[in-house]
Amino acid sequence: MIMRPGQQLLLPAKPLFIWGSLLSALLLNMLFNMGWWGRSAWTPDMLALVLVFWTVHQPLRVGIGAAFFMGLLMDVHQGALLGQHAMSYTVLSFLAIAVHRRLLWFSVPSQAAQVFPLFAAAHGLELFLRMAGGGAFPGWLLMLAPFLEAALWPVASIVLLAPQRRAPDPDANRPL
Amino acid sequence: MPLGTLDRDPPPFFRQGPSALTKLAVCSAFALLLMVSDARFKVMQPLRTALAAVLYPVQWLALQPLAAAGQMSAYFSTLATAETVQEEARRKLSTQSLRANQVDQLELENQRLRKLLDLSVRLDTNFRAAQVIYDAADPYTRKVIIDRGQLHRVALGSPVLDESGVIGQVTRVYPLTSEVTLITDRDHAIPVLNARTGARGVAFGDTSSYADALELRYMAANADVAVGDLLTTSGVDGIYPPGLPVARVEKVERKVDAVFARIYCVPLGLVSGAGHVIVLDPLGDKIPARPQPEPLAVTPKAKGAKP
Repeated sequence: MIMRPGQQLLLPAKPLFIWGSLLSALLLNMLFNMGWWGRSAWTPDMLALVLVFWTVHQPLRVGIGAAFFMGLLMDVHQGALLGQHAMSYTVLSFLAIAVHRRLLWFSVPSQAAQVFPLFAAAHGLELFLRMAGGGAFPGWLLMLAPFLEAALWPVASIVLLAPQRRAPDPDANRPL
Repeated sequence: MPLGTLDRDPPPFFRQGPSALTKLAVCSAFALLLMVSDARFKVMQPLRTALAAVLYPVQWLALQPLAAAGQMSAYFSTLATAETVQEEARRKLSTQSLRANQVDQLELENQRLRKLLDLSVRLDTNFRAAQVIYDAADPYTRKVIIDRGQLHRVALGSPVLDESGVIGQVTRVYPLTSEVTLITDRDHAIPVLNARTGARGVAFGDTSSYADALELRYMAANADVAVGDLLTTSGVDGIYPPGLPVARVEKVERKVDAVFARIYCVPLGLVSGAGHVIVLDPLGDKIPARPQPEPLAVTPKAKGAKP
């Protein structure tokens, strides 16, 4: 690995944290759906965001199979067409794997701009599948969802990388 | 510059597993298969039920903060509000008690008259109370989840009502919850009877033109339907008991060149925001079975007979 002097080397990611964060994203999605915004179409899909994040950062741990399974869970939770989210997450994960080597060379805001097409494609695919299957059009606010997800990318980069940014040798001056 | 990660073991060089494209092909093919078998052949219910059972603890966990927040806000709602609500409830009760007291007598009278006329008795069906837990998040349909399921013997297809009218029908039953498709869902149709004229029709869910509404379809352009007409269940479907209020006609559009009138109705039940509901058992097993269709008499064609 080519490292520049002064660049921070991250600690290894813990599998427990990765899966825990995926589960919390699912919980957060449920909280949005069941509590605050009901069935509104613009709600950002936190699970998709976290899946793309880990697929980009840890492609050996979180991949297409995990995305497919998470999509199935999401379908069952929403009572949607079984396989709809599985399909869109699969495609999302594939696209994330396709860009993962390039994406991390950019600054975080620029990364957010580059993951936007991925989320837009996933939502577009879902819309196409449901329209083809005879669903009612959910409204134009659906277009807001990929924007919100891309806007949350910097937040995800800070929160999900925080455990890896801790000091390898904590002492009294650097407890974390 | 990508952030380097200090991994304890190097990534595998040769054993990389199947390529991403292969995985994409396999997973999307499987997803397509699932979708088709779910939408067209309806064979995915066991898998859905199993996954729902796995997911139920997670959902329960996600519901806890919401329930706590609800309790907190209820706790802090003032005494005055509670008193107004109680006053309202008492007034409603007193207005209803007159009718309720008459009902027994009317029922008896009805029973005797029916016996006199040799009609079949009105059907009575069991019901159980339930609570709406949350709206199903799928924005393409209109569904809610209630807290009664297979373990409480909720039957598939049971009508669901609230205090003011029919709100939907149970379309999926999970072990501890059930999914209710609202009458405003696009794929939902309910047979109705115009209480003023006695004309029967079918009301379909319609979310496109109004927010949460129904459309009474296939009524002729000159049919006698007026704004304000009450639509009740007709009872001819074998699912809904007759006479439950469903909707009120909101707008009637008659166009010269159209065969059918466009009739918009608003549901009477609280389809969005119902809290407590009643799940009735479907009438299906109580009504007499349909008569067998008579086998078509095959008439041998006479040779050379002219049509």
